Amino acid sequence: MGEHLMTNLITAILEGDCAESVSQAKSLLGGGVSPEQVVTDGIEAAMSRLDAKCTLEQFNLLEIMLAGRAVMEIMKLLYPSGIAMAASKGTVVIATLEGDIHDLGKNILKTVLIGKGYRVVDCGKDCPLQKLIDIVEKERPLAVAISGLITPIIPLVRQVKDMLLLRRLDCVKVIAGGAALKQSSASRLNVDFLAESAFDVLPYLDEFTGGRK
Amino acid sequence: MNSLERVAAAINFQETDRVPVIAQVFGHAASLAGVSLDDYVQDGETLARCQLHALKEYGYDAVFSVMDVSVETEAAGSVLRYLRDQYPVVEKYALSTDGDWDELPIPDPLKAGRMPEMLKALRILRREIGDRTLVVGCVMGPFTLTTQLLGMETALYLAIDDPSRLERLMDFATETVIRFGRAQLQAGAHLPIVFNPSASPVVIPPQFFREFELPRLKRVFQAFMGSGAVANWLHIAGPVGPVLPYYPTAGVHIANFDYCISPKEAMDGLPATCLDGNIRPVSFIDGSPEDIEAEAAKLLDAFRNRGGFILSSGCEIPPESKPKNIAAMVNSVRAR
Repeated sequence: MGEHLMTNLITAILEGDCAESVSQAKSLLGGGVSPEQVVTDGIEAAMSRLDAKCTLEQFNLLEIMLAGRAVMEIMKLLYPSGIAMAASKGTVVIATLEGDIHDLGKNILKTVLIGKGYRVVDCGKDCPLQKLIDIVEKERPLAVAISGLITPIIPLVRQVKDMLLLRRLDCVKVIAGGAALKQSSASRLNVDFLAESAFDVLPYLDEFTGGRK
Repeated sequence: MNSLERVAAAINFQETDRVPVIAQVFGHAASLAGVSLDDYVQDGETLARCQLHALKEYGYDAVFSVMDVSVETEAAGSVLRYLRDQYPVVEKYALSTDGDWDELPIPDPLKAGRMPEMLKALRILRREIGDRTLVVGCVMGPFTLTTQLLGMETALYLAIDDPSRLERLMDFATETVIRFGRAQLQAGAHLPIVFNPSASPVVIPPQFFREFELPRLKRVFQAFMGSGAVANWLHIAGPVGPVLPYYPTAGVHIANFDYCISPKEAMDGLPATCLDGNIRPVSFIDGSPEDIEAEAAKLLDAFRNRGGFILSSGCEIPPESKPKNIAAMVNSVRAR
């Protein structure tokens, strides 16, 4: 099934039209298209277009949230029991750390990662550092991504890599992003990668997954 | 020239004895005085005392009665969680989409939540400072307050799913802001700065700003000028380039620009409006005085021939900033 048959779905996602997106996905499933194909040829393609807009700085939270809502509704249709996609590119643990309850950025990253075929373990907002490290130990992800809107969490972010090292989890990449954190630098935050936006995380992760589907 | 005269001259692109410098010091005034942020944001007297202490310490050109971004939403019924050394956060929003918004009472600034404490701080600051230094109050922009009443995600979805209902709520927010701002002016503020982070182009498209927010901002600023504000000051964080051209229509006299906007872009977008900015806020935490001096020097050079400039940070100077970095910014204008 080529991408051209997915055009209506992609357009609906990009326009943030939730009802139309679900309707198009239903039509595709009814026509014999597999859920995996809807994800790879539809959702991922739409996400790539949003990524391109983001790179050109022609994006805003409203558009991304609307597209994200459409994606999440389609995922519910495709996987009603919530079973993780079989063809996962890998796992990413995400969190907003203790003291910060602003998790919109984290939620957007979650949508972007799911839309691009990653399995996401969401530790939520106001997440204690110890809990985050315990979950990383259990999940053994490719990376752990931390979002931060406010500056008081910077000292916590700086500890993540060292705490992972103590548990011999130093192979797990540490990613930071969000309004407060992105003003700093990866070295000052003691992280592997500092993302300018949620989409910025994708090419970085692809370095380790080879962009595999 | 005193601070108030210096800022007024900069707004009018007139000559000044030196470039005005305004450090956006809010919670940092508490840290500097060894007071917990929790006390600072709840007690007007403490806030005023800390602001006066910080003014004495740094010698910049304005003081602020700014608690945090949740004063209005709390006054309208949101439940906050107070934290010892951080700004409070909203635990339960005042409104939900299934509620009845037809007869929402406008919060009374003399009674509701912490509004009276903010007014108390303004009275003390103006009494102590008079007209020597700019005394600044603070209100949220109409869309920012709307997102604070409902939660950001709910408000944004409502903008698409039921725009007329969102507009009704934005009108309520506008009236709340006008009433609170007027009370601040009566209490002694020379002006209330309008904080409007949710109206940033990273959150809403410029067309949304033009259609929904601009007419309401205009109403707010007209009301403030009609109630004696010396000028209108708008603060929107992030890459505001696409919405800068709307500022004069809104009635803005001072426009804050964030660290991600170049001085050239800000000047091109607002050729006849006083600008304030834009040192990177995190530099005050993890930078050195030399870093701050270098950033300040670039800005002062960029605006040397234009005027209409107040040296400042791109956004709030974080509470945990190093005092020597703030001093470095202030000293930069004195060294010239």
